[in-house]
Amino acid sequence: MRTGLAPRIALGAVGVLVAAYGAWLLLSRQDAEQLRSAAVWLVAGVVLHDVVLAPVVVVLGLLVSRVVPPVARAPIAAGAIVLGSVTLLAVPVLGRFGERSDNPSLLDRDYTAGWLVLAAVVLVAVVVATLARARRRRQPPS
Amino acid sequence: MSTATARTAGFSTRLRSTAVAARVGLVLGVCFAICFVTGLVSHYAQDVAQPLGFPTSPAWGYRVTQGLHVITGTACVPLLLVKLWTVYPQLFRRPPRGLRRLAVEVAERLSIAVLVASAIFQLASGLANVTGWYPWAFSFRPTHYALAWVAIGSLVVHVAVKLPLIRSALGADVDEGLEQEGPPGALSRRGLLGATWAAAAVAVVATAGNTVPWLRKVSVLATHTGDGPQGLPITRSAKAAGIEPEAVGAAYVLEVVRGERTVTLSREDLLAMEQQTRTLPIACVEGWSGTADWTGVRLRDLIDLVEAPLGSDVQVTSLQQRGAFSRSVLQGGFVDDERTTLALAINGETLNLDHGYPARIIAPNRPGVLQTKWVTRLEVQA
Repeated sequence: MRTGLAPRIALGAVGVLVAAYGAWLLLSRQDAEQLRSAAVWLVAGVVLHDVVLAPVVVVLGLLVSRVVPPVARAPIAAGAIVLGSVTLLAVPVLGRFGERSDNPSLLDRDYTAGWLVLAAVVLVAVVVATLARARRRRQPPS
Repeated sequence: MSTATARTAGFSTRLRSTAVAARVGLVLGVCFAICFVTGLVSHYAQDVAQPLGFPTSPAWGYRVTQGLHVITGTACVPLLLVKLWTVYPQLFRRPPRGLRRLAVEVAERLSIAVLVASAIFQLASGLANVTGWYPWAFSFRPTHYALAWVAIGSLVVHVAVKLPLIRSALGADVDEGLEQEGPPGALSRRGLLGATWAAAAVAVVATAGNTVPWLRKVSVLATHTGDGPQGLPITRSAKAAGIEPEAVGAAYVLEVVRGERTVTLSREDLLAMEQQTRTLPIACVEGWSGTADWTGVRLRDLIDLVEAPLGSDVQVTSLQQRGAFSRSVLQGGFVDDERTTLALAINGETLNLDHGYPARIIAPNRPGVLQTKWVTRLEVQA
């Protein structure tokens, strides 16, 4: 089944209109200084990903493929995907940047301890998966 | 994705494949759609100039939509990271020859740049916002709202451009087109997808305790434990709102106003009126929520003192000095709802100052920012 070009062009046009509405909302409701700040954040996100995070992940991937024994590679890669992405999204709570002395009900956990528990759980899962793979390899296929 | 061009950039296409990108992209697209719709609901609920009043039932409606908004947005972080990882080689694709092809390529790359920038912005600003961290000069709500339209619009453009690729990738086996063996022991495509879903699930479980009570113990990265003064968290303290001790002391009165008529009530007068206790959730825009037993005067009884007709809107004024929500409008539907209460007590105790002592509004199915605290004036709108 193929979708013709016309419906796709129509869909694309709808998308352009919706995005243009958003751009108009963005530009018409705030002053120049606020817009500059929003622009900095928009650009910084892409730059941090494309220039910092993505190359670091490429290097880590090469490292895993060179240094880690084959049996542990897949479990380590999977563990790194889980722990790496969850750690990144936890940066605001780990840094406690929004903490306020007048509101102890916000950020009221020990996030470092929580992260260590999470990291330990992921580590255990990686070790168990590696051992299971090693065992399977030793047994000849029936 | 074109296999040949990806390989020239020096990347293997085994995992960085259309098969993986389309599958992660599909789930990510659904999550963005959920975030967009629940975000629109929240935006509408906070807009006092709505043409149609926000519904008052179910009482837990806003709790669910806003909880879903933050939970889904959090799940998007691993999904977006993996999606960007799979398509990263495309960044180094050699531009095509010929002016027309080049123009198409530039247009497509621009639309991708807008999509990626707005998507990262939405997730990063949302995650910072739920922790009360505002490291920026822009105003969060209008910016997050405007860029939601930009993100969804550019996502629709992206789907329109990639539709044939998406269809063929989703219609085929995930290992379709696998040309090369991976290095020994490496992650398979299925393994990568499994790890991605696991990462999204862990992200949800680690944070959703903010709004899902039975997850509280395991949500080690949630912004709230759900505890706080009198067993319920707060977002804005009395100190942050600039509440003066004198204003809530013996001098405190509540004015109920309609046109020329004003009825003035002390806290004792309010306590002497018929009291009702309602179990209602409070759901903050920042994504946390909780339930409490609220005791106080039915709002309709107060408005009846000035003989306001059914369906009247009521402007609620707080003693709050700072913040955008020192005033709110209760639309007719909320005013007339039996459950809407001017609460004087929470969970059987007199309201703590941080919960809005001497009196606060609690209404069903309403964003927390509109559950105005330290209420000093109720004015029936003409």
